[in-house]
Amino acid sequence: MASFGRFIRLAVGACAFLLVIAASAPCNAQQVNPTASSVKEQQLLQELNRIQGRVSIPDQRSGVLEQPAGRDWREFRNVTLRWIGGIAILGIIAVMVIFYLTRGMVRLESGRSGRTIVRFTAFERFVHWMTATCFIVLAISGLNITFGRPLLLPLIGFEAFSEWSQWAKYAHIYLSFPFTIGVVLIFLMWIAGNIPNKVDVDWLKRGGGIVGHDHPPAYRFNAGQKAIYWIVVLGGGAVAVTGYALMFPFYLSGIEGMQLAQVVHSIVAVLFIAAMLAHIYIGTVGMEGAFEAMGTGEVDLNWAREHHSLWIEEEQAKGQAPSGGTPKAMPAE
Amino acid sequence: MARMKFLCDADRCIECNACVTACKNEHEVPWGINRRRVVTINDGKPGERSVSMACMHCTDAPCAAVCPVNCFYTTADGVVLHSKDLCIGCGYCFYACPFGAPQYPKVGNFGSRGKMDKCTFCAGGPEADGSREEYEKYGANRLAEGKLPLCAEMCSTKSLLAGDGEIIAQIYKERVMKRGYGSGAWGWKTAYHETIES
Amino acid sequence: MKAFVAALLFAAIVAVGVSILLNTIQQPSSVAFTTDGVRVGDPGHNLIGPG
Repeated sequence: MASFGRFIRLAVGACAFLLVIAASAPCNAQQVNPTASSVKEQQLLQELNRIQGRVSIPDQRSGVLEQPAGRDWREFRNVTLRWIGGIAILGIIAVMVIFYLTRGMVRLESGRSGRTIVRFTAFERFVHWMTATCFIVLAISGLNITFGRPLLLPLIGFEAFSEWSQWAKYAHIYLSFPFTIGVVLIFLMWIAGNIPNKVDVDWLKRGGGIVGHDHPPAYRFNAGQKAIYWIVVLGGGAVAVTGYALMFPFYLSGIEGMQLAQVVHSIVAVLFIAAMLAHIYIGTVGMEGAFEAMGTGEVDLNWAREHHSLWIEEEQAKGQAPSGGTPKAMPAE
Repeated sequence: MARMKFLCDADRCIECNACVTACKNEHEVPWGINRRRVVTINDGKPGERSVSMACMHCTDAPCAAVCPVNCFYTTADGVVLHSKDLCIGCGYCFYACPFGAPQYPKVGNFGSRGKMDKCTFCAGGPEADGSREEYEKYGANRLAEGKLPLCAEMCSTKSLLAGDGEIIAQIYKERVMKRGYGSGAWGWKTAYHETIES
Repeated sequence: MKAFVAALLFAAIVAVGVSILLNTIQQPSSVAFTTDGVRVGDPGHNLIGPG
């Protein structure tokens, strides 16, 4: 039986040898990819420009795995916006400086009459100044977000700049509410006088009298003022709506919506600031007799005749303005 | 010098959330803050894929670029950290981040959302290494002790790798060669501007 | 002048009032992102301060 034992050993050895060969065969056989049908990163990015899935966290925003749109937003916010803002604001300041140095203050040609007419009521002035002061603070705090880091941070250091930015940010959020109230009131108060008409076309054709000694007629608000009105109402409306979208993040939209809101908010805001700088110029340094309209509410009769002749006629017809000529001498009192 | 990176092998991730649990435990992350999360694409359908995602510590980090108060900094290891003392909680970093890493303790109300928090690669923050203040503000600092992030250490399938970018890229390449397939290093093109050829 | 001062005062009052209102209705993320199946007592204060 010994030969049978040897046969058995031989057979088992051969089987074991074959087993080893067979077991190593799959390594050289065709490899299987179990995730072949699954999604790939670049494919998803190309199709949807974002990758999103399911998460077990209640905050569903965490389901967005990748949103490369953030890259484009960063480019806009750091580069494009700073160019637009810089050119708009520095540009308008340059234009005003040149204008003042060449044209100078628009003077009252017939001099003061000493008699006044009410131009803006106390309520109108209240609304204007509330909106205006809020605007100044909002503009400065807003510009700090965009330009503070490159311009102010190097001057005052990290801690001071962060502290200042914190307060500026709170001021920006909370003063936006009285600002919005003001814009709405301005819209309602003055809509009647700010509908464009033919007189405005003529006023614009004559350049508003900004060059030379022309005095094109105008009603209570001339075309330039109507432009400012609509800039305030539409621009103010736009920054308010986008501002509240930014203030309550993700209440109204996903991340692309937030980025869009910031883009619109910032572009409208810097253009708004440029327009308001021009408005402030013409209402203070740019024109003699203009500031009192919002300061005391009463303007000199001659000023009104020179710049808003049709308004004066309306007021005189209503019996709310003193009629008569253009006395140069001051009445003795 | 090592350049620290994360790599999640999306072919191995089984959505067990061990990485999430490890992170939450190590740094005592409060409820509502999600430093690391697992996202499942096509859940329940053929071709389902899970990826673990936290801050990728990008090259040329977009969060750092858009921060209005410049509160971010990149360490010599390439880890992107920030200072909660300087942070004003405005949320811009979240809009710029391709991966949704920044987290805020409160919702709504721009700027009053509290200080931004995010994955620190277990490298703490500007406070002294291993100090109590650092732990209370930024969590554990494992890197200062010579350890790697806990999420990758605890990954049950070793799909999440963390450490020197070259080493983990090499590990991933070897894996892909050995098994014959790989969906790529998710997020690497966006974060580090490079891919791993396999 | 009166109109101007009144304007500043009104703006300040509205701003303060709004700040009180907004901070009252603002939710911490632990509350905002909770589901019915969870009872969150103390959500933890590490990383976010006592807030």
